Amino acid sequence: MRLFVSALQKLAPRMATLFTFGLLAGMLVLIDIAVVATRGVVEGGPSRSVNALSLITFPGAYDQILSFILGLGGLFAVTYGAAIAGSEWTWGTLKTAVVRGESRSRYLAATFAAIGVVLAVGLLFAALVGVIAAAIGATVAGIGISGIGDRAALEALPAHFLRGWVAITETAAIGFAVATLARSQLAGIGVGIALYFGETFAGLFLPDVVKYLPFHLATAVVGGSTGFAPVPSSAVAAMSTDTALILVAVWLLGSLVVAAGFGERAEITG
Amino acid sequence: MIDPSLALATRGLRKSYGSRLALDGLDLSVPAGVVYGFLGPNGAGKTTTMRVLTGLVHADAGAVELLGRPFTRRDRRRLFDVGALVESPAFYPYLSARENLRALAASGAPTPAGRIDEVLEIVGLRERATDPVSRYSMGMKQRLGIGGALLNDPTLLLLDEPSNGLDPAGIVAIRETLRHLASIGKTVFVSSHLLAEVQQMADVVGIIASGRLVREGSMQDLLALEGVVRVRVEPAEVVTATARLARLTAPDRVTASRTEPGWISVQITPERTAEVNRVLAEAGIFASGLGSGNDLEELFLTLTEDTTADPDGKFAGIESTTGRLAPAEVLS
Repeated sequence: MRLFVSALQKLAPRMATLFTFGLLAGMLVLIDIAVVATRGVVEGGPSRSVNALSLITFPGAYDQILSFILGLGGLFAVTYGAAIAGSEWTWGTLKTAVVRGESRSRYLAATFAAIGVVLAVGLLFAALVGVIAAAIGATVAGIGISGIGDRAALEALPAHFLRGWVAITETAAIGFAVATLARSQLAGIGVGIALYFGETFAGLFLPDVVKYLPFHLATAVVGGSTGFAPVPSSAVAAMSTDTALILVAVWLLGSLVVAAGFGERAEITG
Repeated sequence: MIDPSLALATRGLRKSYGSRLALDGLDLSVPAGVVYGFLGPNGAGKTTTMRVLTGLVHADAGAVELLGRPFTRRDRRRLFDVGALVESPAFYPYLSARENLRALAASGAPTPAGRIDEVLEIVGLRERATDPVSRYSMGMKQRLGIGGALLNDPTLLLLDEPSNGLDPAGIVAIRETLRHLASIGKTVFVSSHLLAEVQQMADVVGIIASGRLVREGSMQDLLALEGVVRVRVEPAEVVTATARLARLTAPDRVTASRTEPGWISVQITPERTAEVNRVLAEAGIFASGLGSGNDLEELFLTLTEDTTADPDGKFAGIESTTGRLAPAEVLS
């Protein structure tokens, strides 16, 4: 438990944490500002303008905000997971724990558990900022926020968020495992991002195979509704969200087992 | 057979990185309650030894005993009684010294409340304890690294080049701290290439070259028995001179330098320097340089001279035929 608490204390003030979730929330705010500022002048006529305004129109804005966070959040999460795991090797802090007699796999597991918690808090924070920004945008645009208390939408949010969090955590686990194998922060981040876009690109040619790969599955968990994700909805539509959730859990656990197994056997020479 | 008087022992330790042999049957015997100076030229295997002793890497063969019990891959808890600083100190740069020590204390052995402040006091960082480590100088980071090693109040302390980056006052302070720890029964194993520093600090010394122990013993005995006389002759006369000098002592105690043409080292007490000169003169060889000493540096250079020019140990087989890297002679 003390390892987990310590890992949380280490992650909270970290620049990677503040930057990742700050950027996510900041982009939401910027999009809302853009929607408000360009209302009525959107190329494509009134229908496109109305479509854009759905980002700040409640209760539909809830889904839009979550979709954005869970879509772009996958890329951010793989980078974040890689940054945290890689720095343990690059800075040598895993080494200092090992020479104190700490179990390598326990240390890595505690670190990842803390990442999972930080992801939940960070995504909640970004969602909250997005809702506030959308509410302000709706008011400024004269749309009103009467739908903000829509009961059905609010009741559906926790389940949607929970699924999204599992999916995001899985992508973070991929980054975590890759950086552990690479024993490097930079290499981990680079390879993690390459995998993310590589899988997306491969989805155009091998959809039947790629739909079982981690980033596609993460999108499928939330019903392919992450409109901001690079994964087209059609690529994930064939799989039920529950099946995707199970497969995501397999990828998540598999990644952690690989990371822990490698960490346990690796020779720490840096 | 485990010797309970030893805090640390290795038996036939071997370790390779690919084709490079880093440790070649290393046998160390570190008595409890002493400062042990672990010396060797660059690439001799000091850091690899440290890594093996702390479980960072695993030996290909051989055995390690820590604090009177075998230490294997599954015995990580044995390190709860060991404090170590291996290579450079490692910290989270955005955290303060106190936060870093708190994070470190969360791993491994449970650390008593208040110990972090004690350690900060010992290493002289209490005033800067809240500054981010990224703003620390190299010497401050080194002191914090030593503080991290002291965190669990270890019975055995393993320090890899602890004086790195320290100013003279810091070196003296660390030396006094380590001497104090030995005086209260702790064992301090210090890897270093600062020979003068080790000579002032260590009770027992082990010297390795090409992954093997070449000499081990108490500092007092080594310096008393392992004096060195160095003599310079014409390079063309080296073979004759070496043969003549071998009669004075033993063939394996006379070595012609590979790196300094004409120089010959004779392991003999400095009091016999004139005798060396006389033997050469009787053979019609006149020395153009003659020096003697019984300081650690002389001994170290004599024992490791050739391997410093051959850090990868490519000529290990050749050296062993000269007898210079024969199994270590334990003096005490």
